[in-house]
Amino acid sequence: MRKPPPGCPDLSGDWPPGEIARLLARVTRPGRYTGGEFNTRVKAGARPRIVLSYPDVYEIGVSNPALQILYSHLNDATPAFAERAYCPWPDMADLMRADSIPLWTLETFAPVAECDLWGFTLPHELCYANVLEMLDLAGVPLRAAERDGDDPIVLGGGPAVANPWPIAPFFDAFFVGEAEDHLDAVVAALAEDGRDARLEALAAVPGVWMPGRTQGPALRQIFSGFATSDPVLRPVVPVLEAVHDRAVIEVMRGCTAGCRFCQAGMWYRPVRERPVDLVVAAADRLLDETGCDEVSLLSLSSCDYGGVAEALTRIRRLRPGLRVSLPSLRIDSAAESLAGFAAGQRGSVTLAPEAGTQALRDAIDKGVDEAQFEKAVRATFHGGFTGLKLYFMIGLPGETDDDVLGIARMAATAARLAKEIGRGRARLSVSVSSYVPKAHTPFELEPFAGAATLRDRQRLVRDAVPRGVRVSFHDVAASVVEATLARGGPGTDRLVEDAWRRGARFDGWTEHFDARRWEDAAAATGIPLGEEIVARPYWRDAVDARLSPEFFADELARARAGELTEDCRDGACAACGVCGGEIGMEVLT
Amino acid sequence: MSWWLVRFSRSGQARYLSHLDTSRVVQRTFARAGVPIALSQGMRPKPRLSLPLPLPVGAAGADELATVEVPEGVEASTEALRALRAASPPGVDITGISDVGEPHPRPQARAAEYACLLDGDAGAIGAAVERYNHTEHAIRERVSPKGTRRLDLKEYVGDVVVTAVEGGARLGFTIAHRQDGAARPQELIDLIAEWAQVEPVMRGLERRRITWDDVPLHAPAGRRKELSS
Repeated sequence: MRKPPPGCPDLSGDWPPGEIARLLARVTRPGRYTGGEFNTRVKAGARPRIVLSYPDVYEIGVSNPALQILYSHLNDATPAFAERAYCPWPDMADLMRADSIPLWTLETFAPVAECDLWGFTLPHELCYANVLEMLDLAGVPLRAAERDGDDPIVLGGGPAVANPWPIAPFFDAFFVGEAEDHLDAVVAALAEDGRDARLEALAAVPGVWMPGRTQGPALRQIFSGFATSDPVLRPVVPVLEAVHDRAVIEVMRGCTAGCRFCQAGMWYRPVRERPVDLVVAAADRLLDETGCDEVSLLSLSSCDYGGVAEALTRIRRLRPGLRVSLPSLRIDSAAESLAGFAAGQRGSVTLAPEAGTQALRDAIDKGVDEAQFEKAVRATFHGGFTGLKLYFMIGLPGETDDDVLGIARMAATAARLAKEIGRGRARLSVSVSSYVPKAHTPFELEPFAGAATLRDRQRLVRDAVPRGVRVSFHDVAASVVEATLARGGPGTDRLVEDAWRRGARFDGWTEHFDARRWEDAAAATGIPLGEEIVARPYWRDAVDARLSPEFFADELARARAGELTEDCRDGACAACGVCGGEIGMEVLT
Repeated sequence: MSWWLVRFSRSGQARYLSHLDTSRVVQRTFARAGVPIALSQGMRPKPRLSLPLPLPVGAAGADELATVEVPEGVEASTEALRALRAASPPGVDITGISDVGEPHPRPQARAAEYACLLDGDAGAIGAAVERYNHTEHAIRERVSPKGTRRLDLKEYVGDVVVTAVEGGARLGFTIAHRQDGAARPQELIDLIAEWAQVEPVMRGLERRRITWDDVPLHAPAGRRKELSS
């Protein structure tokens, strides 16, 4: 039998350690907690020790590309040893508490609390209770103010940091934006002697927000070397089935399509592309390193990647039989993309018209028209794909009942084409989520539709969609919590902590979300849920996303007038504020 | 095309993989090692690979078997074995490959030897084992979506060997595999634990040896080639 990886504690064949093995024998899917994946790094004796976490269960977290970037970079390009920990499922959490076993890392089964820095990537608001769950399971004091010299520095990053207030007191610091250029500085800060000196050094790193030690909002950082750098070439490949079980190449970062509701589209500006040669070479190496039989060309809108057709052709030529997926298809270019893409591919396609009428699609700057939609649906079924999922939102600013009924009309069009072209083999489903206004978007101060309106509109869609079309909706109560946290100001952390103490965790999972916990927490703390209006953009006190308020005001006015804003890569600069200056991108005029 | 018998062990962290996960790990190990696996025909080609005797989640396996079809010209060489060993993840070790040619070997397990730890009063566990060894029938019900099946563990599991260890007892037993199937280790442990009034949780389950009916007896003369580490 093989021994544990080099550098792991000598456990004389008892691997994993006995007390952990006792827990593993009692839980569902014990492989979530044991690591041992392909390309796991173990750096014996290396300092500082960093733990990276995604606050959800292993199968979700291990698929997160951001964590893979940080893990690879920290382990391969700095002296640090980065390990991982994900959020234990409730059955394991209960046993850990009962047996007083603290949260461990997947690489060495060492207690997470013994690391120097614990970094969380925060993808969305409904994972906040899981952060508290993980801190508690690790035995790390929940609030930064309660931590002392022996406790790790807890650092938050990721897109949800766009508004850090609801979780601010639980973190020692936040990193705002893309960290690649500053990981060396973060690691160097941890070499300082003592917690206070480390925090002081960390506060000096660009992009760090640490109330009390940094002045004003943190400037969102942008990875300047994206276009010339390799994507992750030796990712951790899960041995347990994960949600995304494929090799991933980030071909482009940022999106300037300009959808006014989309936080990611604003947050990750400007657009940067990796050259096709680099992408193809990376695909070759990546497939050798992972053993995957599918590669995904990842970005916010992969059809807008300038080299998409060439990259697809060359990767297919390099590896015949390989499946290549594009996770985000734009409807206006989907027909052309699908035609070139469909060869040898099967499965389903997701198209996101977002709104049911032309007027509302123009208001949110989505722009696609009925003809483009119909063309894309035809291309889907003609291309041999047997599944089509349509993605819409309800509760958008300015939405009317007719806009909502438009969703049913578009579903009827797609159902007719599925029948005509798909000849009974084609499956059609419609997913309807609730729009939640997000920080740093043109709609950031627009009213949240509220529970009653959202439920009415869900009913409208459900009653109008043709029979035979499967429709799914997001839980309105969960959207109400998300809306509360997305724009919550200072003090909202009390709501998060109270809800967690009442048992809230895995709120992004329908089977675990319990609205009563949040309602009771709201009553106990006096922080109302789902307020339509926020008093002011609190998030700007913490985060400077480099997006100008004038740009947002202009975009909001254009939304109300139903005017589109061109993608700045194709037309005039919309003066969003990101390009120029130190970013070094030429402003297009 | 040609079939390989691949011997491997699963231990450490890898013991917590499911059967499908283990199968995927072997498949990925081949891909990482640059050793191609033949694909099935059809709309969605699948690698021609199977693990004939699933290993329970949580169990280590000292000498497991996979059958893998490789395209013509791919040799079961020392280099291939070395590449497979280097490409496998922690806890999975490819210990041998042998080319058995055509047709598809379908190894049938005749018996499998297991060992495991059971926490609790060693005396009570020892008494329960003694009772099992002397009982004529040990009927258990297996409930599945297809219905309830009654099986007599004594038809599949012979005498159980018990040794007291710190905090519990180590059990050793052999499960016979018959035309109508086999008992599961957990079914035996459930019974022993029930009689001993301890928690029916196995630790350190290990499949130490499998006796195969058909390995590698049907390899064509002159074609068979075996390599092991």
